Amino acid sequence: MASRASGVSEGNAAKAQAALELMRSVGSVGTRATVLGLSQLEGGWSRHTYELTISDPEASGSAGEYIVRVRPGDSVVDSDIGQEFRTYELLVDEPIPTPSVDGFEAADDTPFGGPFFVMGRLPGHSVNVWRARDRNELAENWEDSRSLAEDLVAHMATIHSMRPERLRDAVVSRTFRETVEHWRGIYEEIRLVRDPVVEEAYAWVLDNEPPPVAPRLVHGDYRIGNCLLDRGRITGVLDWELSFVGDHRFDLGYMSLEYQAGRFVSPGSPLLNAVADRDWFEQRYAELTGEIVDRSVVDVFAALGALMLFSIMGTGVRLYADGETSDIRTAWGRYVFPGLRRDLVGLMGW
Amino acid sequence: MFNALTADQLIAGLGSVLRAAAAATEPPDEYARGQLLSAYSITRLLTAEQRASAGLLTWLRTELRDALAPCSDEAAVAARERIAQAADAPAIGAVLVDLLAKLRSGDREPQARARVHAVLRTMADLELAALAGRPLDAGEAA
Repeated sequence: MASRASGVSEGNAAKAQAALELMRSVGSVGTRATVLGLSQLEGGWSRHTYELTISDPEASGSAGEYIVRVRPGDSVVDSDIGQEFRTYELLVDEPIPTPSVDGFEAADDTPFGGPFFVMGRLPGHSVNVWRARDRNELAENWEDSRSLAEDLVAHMATIHSMRPERLRDAVVSRTFRETVEHWRGIYEEIRLVRDPVVEEAYAWVLDNEPPPVAPRLVHGDYRIGNCLLDRGRITGVLDWELSFVGDHRFDLGYMSLEYQAGRFVSPGSPLLNAVADRDWFEQRYAELTGEIVDRSVVDVFAALGALMLFSIMGTGVRLYADGETSDIRTAWGRYVFPGLRRDLVGLMGW
Repeated sequence: MFNALTADQLIAGLGSVLRAAAAATEPPDEYARGQLLSAYSITRLLTAEQRASAGLLTWLRTELRDALAPCSDEAAVAARERIAQAADAPAIGAVLVDLLAKLRSGDREPQARARVHAVLRTMADLELAALAGRPLDAGEAA
């Protein structure tokens, strides 16, 4: 029977029922559990995200908070949500704050409009470095305890220290060249205009291919905006849909983009990812991993990270232009390109 | 400058968001509110872009003409002509993609390639400043 309650709108009733049935099927909740609330959150380009509240009389009786992650048909990243689910399953045993997962529905034809999984909701809030007040919050922490900077570098070091063999069945493996070709292939497929900065940058990263290192787990989208913060600590590292096994220095480069410090059309924070002084971060990373950070190598991965964003945002623009999505954020994404271009010309030393 | 989606496509999208908001029968959730805020952001950026685009296009065309003027390479000469006739910035971008690939492949006219890179770097600064509503002149950007 349906389990609608006052916190579920008419339009979300079928979705709430689908999430509840999935959780019952894997034993995450009892047969008398009911949905108290379901609402879609603002974030999520490649995944739609819903906040789900469930009352389960057979458990503690108190309401439980969950997150539903959906891969919509108009996702801007053609990544496997099943891989993301399996990654979370494996990470739960690791000393990285990630949520437990509570069931995966692989079918495309669901009330959510695509396959989805349910995961626990960790405490904390997210920050958006492109908002001045959030950058200020992060800068105050840097000036004060630096606890967020410590957590951000420590979790990165932990991710990069994991044995990749554990994840090979769940996470795609890519060499440097395969990573470049992956994102260039998407750029070629979706582009509506040709961009001389982007195409020169692809040639530049290949000309500057770093010496290979042993493959490690790469988060692929590691930044403070993909973490949950609570009372000055990082309580969750989320959004693993771009993870891969490959060159871990990608994470260092991607996070070093000025775009990731909050520059959109106006300058952002002078801090790395709006969180930490860059020299401090790289020195601390070296202390934790025993690996000296080579800035020239990191810059190549920064350029590759910018090119990845061109492909992802470009996919959204293409979907919008083709009428395959009505999500206006995908059209807005075209205004990310000028800042990324600025990052690229700086990295290439033009 | 080399950005996909034209002003008319963006305006049509803004209209769709407004219509959806007017037709809503339930209070907006976070997602719906995000749609409205993104639409608002587009109106600001598109306004700034429209104010600056003609001037930026003229600047880009002139700078590229001057950057390629000393070149004798036939690809550069042809590109200079195509840039002069290009209808808009994306058309210029397509010319530059082909030109830079040719110059790169044979290490031809390295100074011309560097001059084009310098133009594109200044263009990146000018475009960002224009979108921020704080237009720079080329001297400030360089």
